Amino acid sequence: MDSLNAPNASSNVVQDIAAIKPASLAGLTPGSILHSVFREERFFLVLSVFIGVFSGLAVVCFRFAIDWSRIYLLGSGAELSTVRLLLAPSLAGLAIAILTIHVFPTARGSGVNQTKAALYIFDGYIPFKTAIGKFIAASVAIGAGHSLGPEDPSLQIGATLASAIGRRMKLSRDRMRLLAPIGAAAGLAAAFNAPISAVLFVIEEVIGRWTAGILGSVVLSAVSSVVVMRSFLGSESLFRIPPVELRRPSELIAYAILGIIGGFASIAFSSGISALRPRCRNMPQWTQYFQPAVAGLLIGVIAMLGAPQVMGAGYEYMDEAMHGQFTWQFLAILAALKIIATLLSFVSGTPGGMFAPTLFIGAMLGAAVGGAEHALLPHFQYTAGTYALVGMGVLFAGFLRAPMTSVFMVLEVSGNYTIIVPVIVANTFAYVISRALQPTPIFDMLSRQDGLDLPSMEELREEDVLHVEDALQPPPGPVLEADDPLDRAILAFEGSMASCLMVRLPGAAWACLTRERAQMLAQEGMGSHALGTLLGEEQVPYVHPDQPLDTVLRYVNRWPVVPVVNRANVRKLEGVISERDVLDRYRDLGA
Amino acid sequence: MTSQSYKLDFSQVLRREPVMLAVLTLAAALSFLFVTGLSRMFHAQQDALAERWSTRGRSDLGAGRYASAVPEFRAALLYSRDDFDFRLGLAQALMGLNRDDEAYTYLINLWGRRPENGVVNVELARIAAQRGQTDQALRYYHNAIYANWPAGQDSEAREARFELVDYLLQIHASTQAQSELISLAAYIGDDPSQQVRLGDLFLRIQDNEHALAAYRRSLSASPHEAAALAGAGTAAYDLGRYAVAEHYLQEAVSLRPGDYISNDRLKIARLVLQMDPFRPQIRVATRNRNVMAAFAAAGAQLKACPVAATYAATGISGQDLAAQWAKLMPQITEGGLRRDPDLVNTSMDLVFTIERQAREWCGTPTATDSALLLIAKLHEGN
Repeated sequence: MDSLNAPNASSNVVQDIAAIKPASLAGLTPGSILHSVFREERFFLVLSVFIGVFSGLAVVCFRFAIDWSRIYLLGSGAELSTVRLLLAPSLAGLAIAILTIHVFPTARGSGVNQTKAALYIFDGYIPFKTAIGKFIAASVAIGAGHSLGPEDPSLQIGATLASAIGRRMKLSRDRMRLLAPIGAAAGLAAAFNAPISAVLFVIEEVIGRWTAGILGSVVLSAVSSVVVMRSFLGSESLFRIPPVELRRPSELIAYAILGIIGGFASIAFSSGISALRPRCRNMPQWTQYFQPAVAGLLIGVIAMLGAPQVMGAGYEYMDEAMHGQFTWQFLAILAALKIIATLLSFVSGTPGGMFAPTLFIGAMLGAAVGGAEHALLPHFQYTAGTYALVGMGVLFAGFLRAPMTSVFMVLEVSGNYTIIVPVIVANTFAYVISRALQPTPIFDMLSRQDGLDLPSMEELREEDVLHVEDALQPPPGPVLEADDPLDRAILAFEGSMASCLMVRLPGAAWACLTRERAQMLAQEGMGSHALGTLLGEEQVPYVHPDQPLDTVLRYVNRWPVVPVVNRANVRKLEGVISERDVLDRYRDLGA
Repeated sequence: MTSQSYKLDFSQVLRREPVMLAVLTLAAALSFLFVTGLSRMFHAQQDALAERWSTRGRSDLGAGRYASAVPEFRAALLYSRDDFDFRLGLAQALMGLNRDDEAYTYLINLWGRRPENGVVNVELARIAAQRGQTDQALRYYHNAIYANWPAGQDSEAREARFELVDYLLQIHASTQAQSELISLAAYIGDDPSQQVRLGDLFLRIQDNEHALAAYRRSLSASPHEAAALAGAGTAAYDLGRYAVAEHYLQEAVSLRPGDYISNDRLKIARLVLQMDPFRPQIRVATRNRNVMAAFAAAGAQLKACPVAATYAATGISGQDLAAQWAKLMPQITEGGLRRDPDLVNTSMDLVFTIERQAREWCGTPTATDSALLLIAKLHEGN
């Protein structure tokens, strides 16, 4: 993850440059270095906009391809013929299996983990062939009725385009690594028509932490891709949002119940994937050719038996559920059938995403639970749209385990702030239940099944971060002033065991006077000289108590101790910290 | 320059940021052009499919094939998700299939988008009326009446008001219905058929004066409209203007001989005109003959309905009607009536009492009895 802090590091370098003049930068003026750094930053931001534009265009084409596949494979009508229902997903499954086994082996799966792998394992490299394979296979699969969504493939297509652009630009390894999440955010934002959710998801699930250096680029690429997408497909949301309202605080109980049920549904969904996916993959090689076809056939049978809503991404049916078009009993059946259909499609290795099915299941489950609650307790206010929206957030939090994205996604999609309280209540229940019963999040589980040891974003979010204050030590001796003569420092050394004393220089600068240096200067007859004149060129960078402990490691190889100063008053010394202090603290944490 | 060094130089040139940006801009522009072409193709196909399915839907909706229209409008909406007319068509088809709950959700959303739309308001009013939500129904009907109707659909607003009147009559809100009809009369113009419809509704709320005016307006534009003539005859009949009623009913019956109701009314109206002894400017001899005929008819009625005969009218010395009739009978002669003109009133009062009692106890009277009852009603209070 160090590489992700590269822009941070460069800004720290700028800070260092302002404070010190290291020997290693001799020959370069601070101005030229600053110019170089800012120019690179600016270019990277411009590049992010281009990545957003290309990703947006690619996602638009992807949406066209899915629609064309649907029209030509399933027909243009709303009522589909039985023959097409059975044949289209099966034959498409067969074709997809051949493509993914022989031509595009990297196109399998949703695409989120592949993007993470590019970031953490392959230095941002994603073969361009992956995007082509994903584009073709996912559009055919979704268009033919496999129960998958276009968002995760769009994310991967965006990341692949970004990677390709980065390679053409011959960017450095650090920059290359950053490009994949930037492209991923752009692809997801365009597919979902929701830039904020896309940015949050990429930060929450792909990058794993907030880093100022990449945030600007991610936001720029997401926004530019959405602008491009909207210029071709319009600015309408994926579903028409009905009026959302929360009339009484007591209704929150109903949403809490939805959260609990959603949590268990998430467990059922993820447990199904966890159990079935390895079994399907461990089946004989020749069965891999038929698994997507069999999955397609079974989905066709479900559709033929009266639930064609489970086919494809299903946004139009989410829209209908939000507007109360189905009874709560049928909504509950649809939620259960969609879980089965998505399990079939996903575990068979058919390329496609899990975002849309998750939202579908959430919407149906939400509206079903709301409807059932209303039937049992008629005094409870019930609007299908509100429950469906909250249900989407619930499954997002419980199944994808992206709690922050789940809240903002619902807010962004609904455009209504009133819904935030029910969403937070329900999502919290779902998230807590899901975490308690299924400790490994779905994306981590998938990456482990694939034999990849990618960092768990949930674990990263919760890991203990040590700060400077956890290791700082009291100053080893008196703090000396710039006006003090060297003799005073010699006296101070004599009265203590300290190897280094801190010297407060004019302005916001500090210096470290070592015992050896003091003795050497004294031998040169400079005992009466002011410390400021002797040490003015040897400033030490300082840190603050709240900064991460690893920040100190950048300095301790050049200076024996680093001053820790107060943020409100940098002339006030809070303590000092040395390499040993840092290492001891880390050793204690490991123990 | 060797090819290798040329390659190196070229790649260095490419790595210069302005060149990179120029290349990216060019690539983006070309991609935009390509996607624009694709987008036009895509949208053209979507529009064509939307049009194809909506045309089929409209056709089936118009023909009352609602089961076919529903999936067709749904298919059209796949390609034009927010099209107002497609959604409205789907809602109307769902209503045709009595799937009012589903239709309602579509309509209420459409109402949210265009609360001023007349069709949506009418459909919502119908659903509310079916659900017994009177306030909602009235609100939507009024919205519809004052809604923005597209050019060429002005008659729809009128239809909405007609429908509202029908609804008000169903819920027995006659006073409101009458006000709506009076407002409607101002907008209805000279269309004879609409005036007839208006007249019929006025008749239903027993506002015969307005009904007669509406029929007359219709007849001024179309004098031989049998329905208007029958309606005008009925209104005049109910108003007690039997001469006018006879005029209209006679014409109506001549145009529609099978109109038995008008025919019966005509007969009664004629009998009223013929038998009324209190008619102004009537000759004494004729009056006396009418009184004698009426008295005889009352006697016949007493025989036909003996129960009525036992009724003791409080006004006439505690005797029952048969006794009273028998007591007066010898005096009801040409000479007796001429000698004592007060007998006209006395005998006719008894006739009216007998007829009323007979109707109360024995039901449907003959034409003559009906005429006598109407004469009684005509001169009540005199």
